[in-house]
Amino acid sequence: MASIVRPTMLRQTCLKVATKRAFSTKPTSSFPAINKPASVLSRKTVRSAFVKDALPGSMRVAAFHASGRRPILPALPQEINGTANDAAPVPTPSPTHGSYHWTFERLVSAGLIPLTIAPFAAGSLNPATDAILCGAILIHSHIGFEATITDYIPKKRLPKTRKLFDWGLKLATVVVGVGLYEFETNDVGLTEAIKRIWTA
Amino acid sequence: MAALRSSSRLFTAARPVFRTQLRAFASVSDTHSTSSPVPPSQTSTVKEPAADPDAKIKTFHIYRWNPDTPSEKPRMQSYTLDLKKTGPMMLDALIRIKNEVDPTLTFRRSCREGICGSCAMNIDGVNTLACLCRIPTDTTKESKIYPLPHTYVVKDVVPDLTQFYKQYKSIKPYLQHSAPAPNGKEYLQSKEERKKLDGLYECILCACCSTSCPSYWWNSEEYLGPAVLLQSYRWIADSRDEKKEERKAALDNSMSLYRCHTILNCSRTCPKGLNPGLAIAEIKKEMAF
Repeated sequence: MASIVRPTMLRQTCLKVATKRAFSTKPTSSFPAINKPASVLSRKTVRSAFVKDALPGSMRVAAFHASGRRPILPALPQEINGTANDAAPVPTPSPTHGSYHWTFERLVSAGLIPLTIAPFAAGSLNPATDAILCGAILIHSHIGFEATITDYIPKKRLPKTRKLFDWGLKLATVVVGVGLYEFETNDVGLTEAIKRIWTA
Repeated sequence: MAALRSSSRLFTAARPVFRTQLRAFASVSDTHSTSSPVPPSQTSTVKEPAADPDAKIKTFHIYRWNPDTPSEKPRMQSYTLDLKKTGPMMLDALIRIKNEVDPTLTFRRSCREGICGSCAMNIDGVNTLACLCRIPTDTTKESKIYPLPHTYVVKDVVPDLTQFYKQYKSIKPYLQHSAPAPNGKEYLQSKEERKKLDGLYECILCACCSTSCPSYWWNSEEYLGPAVLLQSYRWIADSRDEKKEERKAALDNSMSLYRCHTILNCSRTCPKGLNPGLAIAEIKKEMAF
């Protein structure tokens, strides 16, 4: 869970900037290279085996945290349910959230490819294919956002936020659905709009 | 006992007298005073051993945290080693640091040949076994050693794998068979059936793959992670196991299996060259219809 505070990928990308920020507070020539790309200077300086002794405490902390502090969902103390020898609880099977869900998701994803190409390849703009495409996109994005919410908002730790996001997503999907319907019925429709933007 | 103690005290009391006598004898003897020492011009000088000019000094930065001082922040500590006096693997370097530089450095190790999975750690940004990871000979680059990412740290580079083992236990990693073996000895399988287990049974449960999986980082309480799912598939694929459907049902929910988003960090990092991503895909395929 600590990961939410410091995603490693993010840390990797902003390492260079972040280290600069961390080191800019007190630049010293004898500063040992921790998290610092090897430079000619740092290579030549002879470092003692116990570098930490040469550093003030605040600098050590700054050097360790390459990215700034982000107190979003900080790691909780470790919690072990039961003894170390008990097996982790097995959830009750629910295929609607498991295998059926996955199969449906894959079918929609695979189906989207021909649905996207078909109207342009055929060259005809059929309101029926348009409607199917809109529906598939709606379901696909709903499932995608749902997965994101499940991944990043743990139900156990943030039950209220989770509920808020779940309902927010449902609302957003309905709003987008209504919007697409309006666009299809009262305006030119999705494929025609893309076609116009493409050639514009 | 009391008698013994008193007698020993008596003995110590008598000792100083004995010593003064010895010293008196030594000063009186004239054998040493007459012979003069050899002058320095006729002897060779023994110098301090000179530093090796072609030493290959490499710096290792190692994550340190001590549970005895829990309020202190974890820190990176630097060690320098001469690679010419160190074995080729990272574990050799760690053992040498512990033996010769800093005995407080803590890490797990056992077999030193990649079969026990004890020395799993994050070396230069990759989860791997220290005993299977060569030290890069480029001395200009400094190596960084961290514990496995997103684990609770016991000390230094020792992670707590309790949750990992509990999850492993939850998939019932043993052969489940109702009837005794037909020949009264063992359950047999054909060569083809056995072949399905290749690439699965070699897993040593070092937790390198699970701790490299972002999905497992976020949801390690509920998502089983690649290592445990690979093991789960090892029993699903086993022709002798009779509880295939039960095993699949245990994974059939939103969290246990389907938090895998095919990131494939697991297959990339596996120090044994296995493919947990493929095993998970096979489970998903078997459960699809």
